[in-house]
Amino acid sequence: MSAIRSFASLVAAKLVALATAPKRLVVTVQRAVYDVRTGKRTPWDVTKSVLMTLFGLAMVLVLLFPLFWITTASLAEGTRLFNTSGIFPDPTTYNLDAYRWVIFESDFFFVDGDWGYPQLVVGGGGGLVSFRWAGTETGPGAVFNSLYIVSVTLAAGFGMIVPAAYAFSRRRFVGRKRILYGYVLFTQIGAGLSIATLVALYSLFSTYGLTNNLFILGLFYAASAIPFNTWLLKTYMDNIPVSYEEAAMVDGASFLDTIREVIIPLTKPGLAVVLIFVWLAGWNEFIIAQTLLRPENYPLSVELYNIATEGRFSTPWTRFAAFANLFALPVAIVYLAAQRSVEDGLSFGGMEG
Amino acid sequence: MASSQPGTVASGLSRLRSALPFTSRDWGLLLVAPGVILFSSFMLYPIFYLFYISLTDATFAGSVIGGGAELIGLANYVQLIGDPQFRTSMGTTWLFVAVSLVVKVFLAVGIALLLNHVRVAGKRYMRAAVIVPLGFPGIFTITVWRGMFSDARYGVFNTILGRYNDVMASLSAPQALLFDVPIGFLSGRWEAFFAYVTTEVWLAYPFMVIIIVSALQDVPRSLHEAAMVDGAGALQRFRTVTLPAIKGPVLFASILTAATSFQQFLIPWVFNQGGPSRQNELIIVYGYREAITFNQFGLSAAILIVGIAFVGLFMYVAVRFGGLAEGVGDE
Repeated sequence: MSAIRSFASLVAAKLVALATAPKRLVVTVQRAVYDVRTGKRTPWDVTKSVLMTLFGLAMVLVLLFPLFWITTASLAEGTRLFNTSGIFPDPTTYNLDAYRWVIFESDFFFVDGDWGYPQLVVGGGGGLVSFRWAGTETGPGAVFNSLYIVSVTLAAGFGMIVPAAYAFSRRRFVGRKRILYGYVLFTQIGAGLSIATLVALYSLFSTYGLTNNLFILGLFYAASAIPFNTWLLKTYMDNIPVSYEEAAMVDGASFLDTIREVIIPLTKPGLAVVLIFVWLAGWNEFIIAQTLLRPENYPLSVELYNIATEGRFSTPWTRFAAFANLFALPVAIVYLAAQRSVEDGLSFGGMEG
Repeated sequence: MASSQPGTVASGLSRLRSALPFTSRDWGLLLVAPGVILFSSFMLYPIFYLFYISLTDATFAGSVIGGGAELIGLANYVQLIGDPQFRTSMGTTWLFVAVSLVVKVFLAVGIALLLNHVRVAGKRYMRAAVIVPLGFPGIFTITVWRGMFSDARYGVFNTILGRYNDVMASLSAPQALLFDVPIGFLSGRWEAFFAYVTTEVWLAYPFMVIIIVSALQDVPRSLHEAAMVDGAGALQRFRTVTLPAIKGPVLFASILTAATSFQQFLIPWVFNQGGPSRQNELIIVYGYREAITFNQFGLSAAILIVGIAFVGLFMYVAVRFGGLAEGVGDE
């Protein structure tokens, strides 16, 4: 609960900072004008700063062009995207039809967008009063499959990564060096390796009857995320001075107290990064999912790929864009909110030394 | 007798304890074990199994599962050596890794320097914006890039090039500066290769920028100022102050992203399945297609084993000589 509250306050702080950004810009400009008037800075000096800033802005716009393009495309259902009038659709034709299609017709939330409604049942089997989902004949859609996979991936991933990172960072044990070395070797072989072994995976999963199993797939994604994230978190924990724990111990803290009061609070940025990466591992992958699952269990990523490849040359761009934006939005929001942590957590502490 | 019984048990226990390869001091191993077991069963075991398949004449999944495949030794590997398609794929893959790495490094260093420059206002926001691509699903962004590289006359890049042509023509520029639109970005070999590299660079630069920026921020400003006092120009300051600070992180990020580039699958697969006419099949795509499209499981496994071996070798060399695992040893 406190996690949700701290996250909400984080988002709120971001929004406040963003809302006050124009004011700060005005202040900066005013100060520059004042400096020029009083002769503290030469006009040329100010011009150089303005030019550099404009250059930076232009660069950001160029780099983010694809995302901008696809967002405008998602608003243009019913118009031809590639036509003589230019790259961007005509703003006067903007509409939300594509999003309506995703929510009420595609399999995003419910199969065929058939939402149904919750129904209160009095009496009946379970208890005195029970809830039931009614009015839908098709059942839950892809988002539930995705969420199920991600929950398994997150639970298994965190349960294995955090203790292991702690042990690697703070404990000396047999085989530590060798296992860590192996992990470092495998850090960057996550997603590519799973596709490389797909041939073997398919055969193995079929032999053991594990295909079409969302739980196993979630575990599999957790496994693919373990080396990189364990190593990441370990390097992060290495930067926390051991003396903090020793001081806590001297003050009478038990071993578990030091974990709760020292390690966990100080590792928060690292944990945020691991959370995002492990989430992405489960949320984004689709080749393995497509191979191992049957259509009724497809997660969002596979559905998205299917929309993209419906026709060899005729991707329905507006629908694809709307679907993809809804698919990516939760992750993007969390990612932006935790951006500071991502930068801190990814700095790999002692790398420059 | 009653008193000697516990003694034997105790000595037996202590003998057992000394025979075990670890002691109670090693309980940290217990925290690590679950991850190792999960990773081994889902990642390492399939690699060994893949190696086994590569030694058989399996043609499709059923022949592996049903035991219809026979061991044929290294025949698949021998076949690979003589296969021109394998050489094309390997060459393209290495070229792809090298070209995209060089572009990536220059682009990322440029962005990081710019977004860390004193003269740029609002750099925190710009930094937040430029690393956004890392947060989006690969299948999403890669498909978007495919749409922008569309072969169609009114595809995004072809439209932009057309506009550029109009401007140049109105300036009566020489014909050599104009583009021959529409360019078939996905249907020509090198055009497609160019499209792959562009997309790969776009996908990977945020990671590098983050790492370089955090290295740049660790350089004390006083160092720059001291160099300025000594009369060092911008270029010289870059060489003597900035470069030493970011060299390590850049090498580190290069190793990691190069290894990922080597296993790039989604870009060629989504763009044109490694085409045209199988000329741009990066190594993983090549292996995948041999299995899925041509039902050559044995051969496919051999290709992928070779690919994994290359990445493994690359990572081993990088870890060994690149100082990637500096934190591994006991300090």
